[in-house]
Amino acid sequence: MARTKGYPEALEKKLKDQRFYREDSTPDFVNRIEKISRTMAHMCFQCGTCTGSCPSAPRSSYRIRKFMRRAVLGLENEALTDPDLWLCTTCYSCTDRCPRDIAPTDVIMAMRNIAFTHDIVPVNFLKTVQAIYKTGHGVPNNDVNRAAREKLGLTRDPPTTHMYPEYMPGIRKILDHYHMKENADRIVKEREG
Amino acid sequence: MMVEKKKTTTKKTETKKQEAKKVAPVKQEVKKQAAAPAPAAQNAVAAPGATTQKDARIGVFICHCGTNIAGSMDIQAVQDYAKTIPHVAYVDNYKYMCSMPGQTLIQKAVKENNLTGVVVAACTPRLHEPTFRTATKDAGLNPFRFEMANIRDQNSWVHMHDREGSTEKAKDAVRIAVAKAALLQDLFPKSVPVEPAAMVVGAGVAGMQASLDLAAAGIKTYLIESDMSIGGRMSQLDKTFPTLDCSQCILTPKMVDVGRSEKIELMTWSEVENVEGYIGNFEVTIKKKARGVMTPKEAAAKGIVGGGCNGCGDCDAVCPVIKPNVFEVGMKPRKAIYINHPQVVPLIYTIDFNACVKCGLCVTACGPEKRAIDLNMQDEFIKVKVGTVILATGYDIFPIENKQEWGYKRYENVITSLEFERLICASGPTGGHLVRPSDGQTPMRVAFVLCAGSRDNTGIGKPYCSRFCCMYSLKHAHQIVEKIPGCVPYIFYMDIRSFGKMYEEFYYRIQNEGAKFIRGRVANILEDPKTKNLHVYADDTLLDRPVDMEVDLVVLAAAIEPKADTNRTRKLFGVSCSQDGWLLEAHPKLNPCGTTTAGVFLAGVCQGPKDIPDTVAQAEGAASAASIPIHMGEVELEPYFAQCIEEKCAGCGMCVNLCPYSALSLVEKNGRTVMQVTEAKCKGCGTCGGFCPGGAIWMQHFATPQIVAQIDAFLLGGEE
Repeated sequence: MARTKGYPEALEKKLKDQRFYREDSTPDFVNRIEKISRTMAHMCFQCGTCTGSCPSAPRSSYRIRKFMRRAVLGLENEALTDPDLWLCTTCYSCTDRCPRDIAPTDVIMAMRNIAFTHDIVPVNFLKTVQAIYKTGHGVPNNDVNRAAREKLGLTRDPPTTHMYPEYMPGIRKILDHYHMKENADRIVKEREG
Repeated sequence: MMVEKKKTTTKKTETKKQEAKKVAPVKQEVKKQAAAPAPAAQNAVAAPGATTQKDARIGVFICHCGTNIAGSMDIQAVQDYAKTIPHVAYVDNYKYMCSMPGQTLIQKAVKENNLTGVVVAACTPRLHEPTFRTATKDAGLNPFRFEMANIRDQNSWVHMHDREGSTEKAKDAVRIAVAKAALLQDLFPKSVPVEPAAMVVGAGVAGMQASLDLAAAGIKTYLIESDMSIGGRMSQLDKTFPTLDCSQCILTPKMVDVGRSEKIELMTWSEVENVEGYIGNFEVTIKKKARGVMTPKEAAAKGIVGGGCNGCGDCDAVCPVIKPNVFEVGMKPRKAIYINHPQVVPLIYTIDFNACVKCGLCVTACGPEKRAIDLNMQDEFIKVKVGTVILATGYDIFPIENKQEWGYKRYENVITSLEFERLICASGPTGGHLVRPSDGQTPMRVAFVLCAGSRDNTGIGKPYCSRFCCMYSLKHAHQIVEKIPGCVPYIFYMDIRSFGKMYEEFYYRIQNEGAKFIRGRVANILEDPKTKNLHVYADDTLLDRPVDMEVDLVVLAAAIEPKADTNRTRKLFGVSCSQDGWLLEAHPKLNPCGTTTAGVFLAGVCQGPKDIPDTVAQAEGAASAASIPIHMGEVELEPYFAQCIEEKCAGCGMCVNLCPYSALSLVEKNGRTVMQVTEAKCKGCGTCGGFCPGGAIWMQHFATPQIVAQIDAFLLGGEE
């Protein structure tokens, strides 16, 4: 720990970030990520091809390379509590180009999975879960869409659960198996009351 | 628990062993029968019945190899077990068996215990068989009475975390080795004379240096080059790092020396067609491709006095066919009759018969005195005999258009480093002016993409580092700063690998000259269709900020890859490839010039990426290694030849066709057709011995009884 001799506490807190081999780093974090993502996250050599490819990076504070680094070093808390974790659109550009043949997108997905087990998940994602449970769609059909579809000579509803609601129980069963709906409802209630 | 179980097994083993012993005399008889009728090639075959299994006294020596072996197994347990193996008369262990004290220990034990065979349980035969054979010989035994048990590379290293398992495996290995050692025979290597000539394949800087060294050592050298002139890749370069010598300026003197040397027979526009033979006696068929133009020598041989090509270029002027010049990476035209560049050695024109329309204009232009051009020339095959061969076949540029994200061949202003070399070179297509291919304008912002296709595990690029791209890109940055005032080079890098002498200093110098370094691999390049400028997308990893940089020109430091015809080279000379496709050296550290085929050596990039200093160094090393057998005058061949047991041979000739080395033939002997082995050609591969339906082939040192004894030792001596 760097000594800050009389500097304000804020600086001390900032300097604390400069040491990563601390007790809060979790050595098996990368192993858990690799088990979920099925990709060799620990082989990242930080070339930056992922961030360079990322369509999100120039428009946001999302830095995929930084998450890869946190995975390698086992900085679990830092990775899971960073709200940027949820800015990936999963376009897989980074996975296409990674010279080490790693799938950074899948690493992000794994981190999100782990974060969810700690109830760390933005409400909009949970509302998507609720929408899927209700309609089978993350973005359900609406009247504007229906009109546009009709104009294009399509059926008002697409041939999905919208047209065949009898398949909804199956989808609900899958979601129930993983306690998705139940957890989503609980967390949303906790946050929004 | 484990130990107890083992004890019972050992007891069982002993009973089994005794049974095996009962069988042994039969085997001995087989051996006697087999050995006796083998052709009495005076010194090759042991006298029958010299040592039998019954009176074999084997010494077992177990090496710790520091902690390499001792760290992962119980040496004492192996030693105790070895004492119980039949025929073992002496057992000892030592920290480093290969050291002088270790070898002395073997010699002393052999003499004091009257041993007939030596087993060393240590590393691999490849590493230390020669060492221990010498020790065995110095102890007064025939060196082929030595057998090695590999308990390091194939045991302690792979079973590092299984102490019990590796100890048991070592016991097996020792038992198996002892079984063979008890049946080993005295063998005597055969010496063959060495042809006092060498061949070098490829006349780039490596091949030229090797040839010059061989010639300087007084050895007749055939230098084979498939292109029309010598110089290779280096002659395409403008300047060389870190000294910034003009590449041609330092290469041309060597090229001229090669052309002038009386000891070097230079054959350009030629390829190796076939290779037969073995170290000391390679018979090489060289295809002299039809060049269409005669050298003064060839013309003189045809009786045209004062004729032949003198390089005047009159033919070039009249030729109507225009083709891209490959030497200039297709950026300059050439005719169907051409030379690569003005300084070519030899200065003899060549006709590209794939392009030539045979109009005959060049023949007229050449005139009745020189009469150098022969449009009906045919390929010629020449046979030469050489003692040793050096392969210096060089490399190809990786087709970087396969990495589509960088847009090579899609965007005009994305070029490779080799194209950059030609553009910046005073003798190149633009006379040394770096221009954008799209509009001929001088670029003011140039991006260099390092590791383009190198260090790439995606399966598209190459997993290895191409080793010289960092340094030549630094040099390129210097050249544009020097030649174009105000032009800024941006170097996108992952790591700058400036490992050589004065290389890091060069990096310092280029940074000081104003090159901008951005630590991030280029993710994507897009073209502005209007301006043909390029947007380079990367992550400035040090600033943690994505970069979108608009530049005028992008230079890709493309990876290098093994020559497309490496496989052919490999088969011709019987050498192997490493995992990455480069030709395989005999040992990556201790024998980087040799190959697994005796008498064939490697020089330059064909063995793996390296820069000019390393290439020249390896070429000199290869030349030195290749000259040793020639100066010795003869080489010893391992006596692992097949032997024909003529009484059993039915003369069917099946083996003759199977032999990959053409070492076998059928001859008439005492009114019968039998097989005969040309010992010098036989590599002891065992193909014939394994196949022979009558069991009439005796493989020395790997004889059937010896191998059967090893299998018995394993199967009958191990757990059921």
